[in-house]
Amino acid sequence: MSGKSFNPFRMAQVQFDKIAEMLELDEATRDFLRYPMREYQFSIPVRMDDGSVKIFRGFRVQHNDARGPGKGGIRFHPQETIDIIRALAMWMTWKCAVVDIPLGGSNGGVICDPHNLSMKEQEQICRGWVRQIARDLGPLVDVPAPDVMTSSQHMLWMLDEFESIRGHKSPGFITGKPVGLGGSLGRKEATGFGVVFVIREAMKELGLRPEQTRASVQGFGTVGQPAVSLFQQIGGKVISVACWDQKDQTAYCFKKESGVDFEALTGITDRFGGINKDRALALGYEVLPGEAWIEQDVEILIPAAMENQITTDNVDRINRNVKIIAEGANGPVTPGADEVIAGRDIFLIPDLLANAGGVIGSYFEQVQSNMNYYWEKDEVFGKLDVKMTSAFNDTVQLAKRKGLYMRDAAYYIAVARVVQACKDRGWL
Amino acid sequence: MLTNVANLMPKKINCSYLERLTPFDRHFFTGTEKFTYIGSGSLGGKAQGLAYMKEVLETKIAPKFMPDINVTIPTLTVIGTDSFDLFLKQNNLHDIAFSSMRNDSIAHAFQRAELPAQLVGDLRALIAQVHTPLAVRSSSMLEDAMFEPFASVYVTKMIPNNQHDTDTRFRRMVEAIKYIYASTFFENAKNYIQATRHTTADEKMAVIIQEVVGCMANNRFYPHISGVARSYNFYPMEPAQPEDGVVNLALGLGKTIVDEGIAWSYSPAYPQANPPYNSVRDLLKETQKGFWAINMGEPLEYNPIKEVEYMLRQDLSAAEQDGTLRFIASTYKPDDDKIVIGVGDRGPRIINFASILRLEEIRLTDLIKELLKVCEDVLGSMVEIEFAVTLDEHHARPARFGFLQVRPMVVSDAVVDISLSELTEENVVVASEATLGNGMIDTICDIVYVKPEVFDVRCTQAIAKELEKINHELVSSDTPFLVIGFGRWGSSDPSGGIPVNFGQISGAKAIVEATLPNMNFMLSQGSHFFHNLTSFRVVYLSVEHIGKYKIAWDWLASQTVVSEEKFVRHVRIPNPLKIRVDGRSGRGVIRHG
Repeated sequence: MSGKSFNPFRMAQVQFDKIAEMLELDEATRDFLRYPMREYQFSIPVRMDDGSVKIFRGFRVQHNDARGPGKGGIRFHPQETIDIIRALAMWMTWKCAVVDIPLGGSNGGVICDPHNLSMKEQEQICRGWVRQIARDLGPLVDVPAPDVMTSSQHMLWMLDEFESIRGHKSPGFITGKPVGLGGSLGRKEATGFGVVFVIREAMKELGLRPEQTRASVQGFGTVGQPAVSLFQQIGGKVISVACWDQKDQTAYCFKKESGVDFEALTGITDRFGGINKDRALALGYEVLPGEAWIEQDVEILIPAAMENQITTDNVDRINRNVKIIAEGANGPVTPGADEVIAGRDIFLIPDLLANAGGVIGSYFEQVQSNMNYYWEKDEVFGKLDVKMTSAFNDTVQLAKRKGLYMRDAAYYIAVARVVQACKDRGWL
Repeated sequence: MLTNVANLMPKKINCSYLERLTPFDRHFFTGTEKFTYIGSGSLGGKAQGLAYMKEVLETKIAPKFMPDINVTIPTLTVIGTDSFDLFLKQNNLHDIAFSSMRNDSIAHAFQRAELPAQLVGDLRALIAQVHTPLAVRSSSMLEDAMFEPFASVYVTKMIPNNQHDTDTRFRRMVEAIKYIYASTFFENAKNYIQATRHTTADEKMAVIIQEVVGCMANNRFYPHISGVARSYNFYPMEPAQPEDGVVNLALGLGKTIVDEGIAWSYSPAYPQANPPYNSVRDLLKETQKGFWAINMGEPLEYNPIKEVEYMLRQDLSAAEQDGTLRFIASTYKPDDDKIVIGVGDRGPRIINFASILRLEEIRLTDLIKELLKVCEDVLGSMVEIEFAVTLDEHHARPARFGFLQVRPMVVSDAVVDISLSELTEENVVVASEATLGNGMIDTICDIVYVKPEVFDVRCTQAIAKELEKINHELVSSDTPFLVIGFGRWGSSDPSGGIPVNFGQISGAKAIVEATLPNMNFMLSQGSHFFHNLTSFRVVYLSVEHIGKYKIAWDWLASQTVVSEEKFVRHVRIPNPLKIRVDGRSGRGVIRHG
């Protein structure tokens, strides 16, 4: 799952430029929003288990905080670049705006591969990352959250370090914490469930009933798993799931025409979302190359793994029966592929809307942490569903009114809201 | 109106009612459809009954009565049974649900569980826009068959839903839904289902969330009138015929009628007929003195596993204060020993609905007659309906008639002829001219009776417990029995009779209600208790100690004792009793030998 020369920040800027044109923004506004407001790049020295010291590169990018404190994940990934972080921070700005929560957009990360690091070494990276940036983070400044290959354990280490530095408890500093230690019920499922909530609404738009639909999902981690689970609960059938195989260093697509058994599949899945190939074969799954997820005869595609997965190279392989693509991951469809998808009248639910459940869940956690009072799961999911559905309806209505592609409609709403906040503050 | 009791089993209706309904679009009052559903699966018997009536109400009934009366099914959405299945599965509640844990323990476990994620968004959206009281009602799937209407087996919870904060309203509604789900597994429900051909595992619960028809006054919300009407009357008073049906009306929420059995009862063919009381004094004694309302003020307690958490039982003086008695009360003038319609004068109030039934200020009786007829046509059986009415004192707006429920009534079609002389023949154990039901039973060898020599009206709750224990044993061994007791069976007032719910005597195929010289009970049942008797084809005989027929207590005392409790004895006879009840004449006789 790749893309060698792909630059997500460039892609994010192209998307923004298109909307800026539609909104007829002035030059200063465009210039302000095309780049992050602040960027931090720093080194994190870590003493490794073998006694050696290794330097890791860390980042935090705060794209825009006109609508509220920054919010965004922390990624641990060996191929991390500042441009990926910039793009993700910008997308977070739009994402928070499109679902109308009072937060800005940030993102951060460390170039590292947790697969090759002990837990102790990962803890040192987490604590070191916080030490470098603590003065520029906080519940009312910028609030990190888990992202690719970071978990609630990482968040807890970071929180502990932050509270040690500040000298007081501050559970609202970070989200994605374990339940019982400042975490929110439902946070874990929020992104995946949010994806399914908007798929459900899209089905209503297209006159489809869930029981008439099949889906193919790329990614079986924190987004893919709850999405598969809820999609099947509302009556749909997931026939294939693709994921990365760490051992073979390649992706596979696991297929069962009669529908995957969610519980059986999660029973043979590691903590990074990798499905055990041999055990899957034993359970009767076809094991296909990773790319095969895109060409399945389904009505719904859910790319929920990485950016840059549906490109001009493979967009033509999308089955003619596909009616909805819901971007569970950030930036999985390139602008070139977008044109083909729009031309085929496939209903695309753009990433900043489709996977906004994660940031809404984070926002809910932050609100609860700041109050130090925690809600029941019913309440979390009820609020999440209403937020997602309202945002979806706003976007669809605008798309219909102005004849826009769904991605453009979502960006249009988001950028307009952020521009308005900047203007109201007198920045522009 | 049907003219005889033959072929009255409700016919199975196969039309796909679900396809005629609309999914909830997150607009409760403002949507174009006022009857919607959430999720999938069955909508349960209660909702299904309403769904069948929806179209005919809108097209045939409502136009006839406008502009005087606005007839509607109050706005509602139904949560399908699939959500119930998922709720049990996701929260691993099966073990608890099917255990013998106490009701409150089951209810607590259900409160701690989470509703399915795909459900709560719709609930949240609903509650965000609604600030008026809601009824959260059970609608069980086994009722779907339309052959076994489970009246009052499961709970209904009224929530005031007037809190400013959306989160609070949402939580109260979620608690109510979980409570309804839990009630599927309460002891009463399990006993009840055991008496059918089903098991609790077959049962699934849909939930109706419905606007409450009523008006607000002094932090109380209630309808001016609640009513239950049946198209067949087992106790007709001359000159009414059984086929004329019967209507029970009460002030406030329907709980007064269905659970307490207190109502103004009349034949819709003779709404102006004098009441069946011997004197004005009797009438004053028996008239409705309290009513149920939703508490819109500060809650008295927080108890999500209590059905009446947000309900209040008030004296009539509260209704007087609220100004809701104008159309429904009359006043007794002691100086003249007369009853005057209305509340213009001072004096004791009598809830007799005289302005409506005698002066016909609104055409309520015509509407009820029409509804009973149409419901019979649609369901193909005799029916029982429930409704609520609000009135506008100044007639500036039409009265509002909320159609709440329709259930089929199940009556045996056997022709049983009992002559008067048979009631006094040899070997008679019980004879009566006031019976309920129709048919013959010759399979009962077990008799469970409350011992007259030790009966104490202060111990009726203990008696109910003893009966429940014996019932459980007999139901477990699939043994039908005759039960004999004192006072009003199913009374919610322990001093008025034995306060059993139907599940506690669910194995009884014949029930005898008797009085003793030191008692003065008004022999009647709550509507739901009554409905269950007819649904299960239980025959019911009333015997008053002052009447001409006696119970053969000595014969009973001489039979072989199977078990003996402090108040209740279980005896078994070698040959089955011969039990016969004639639904047309009202005569019934139980003979041995």
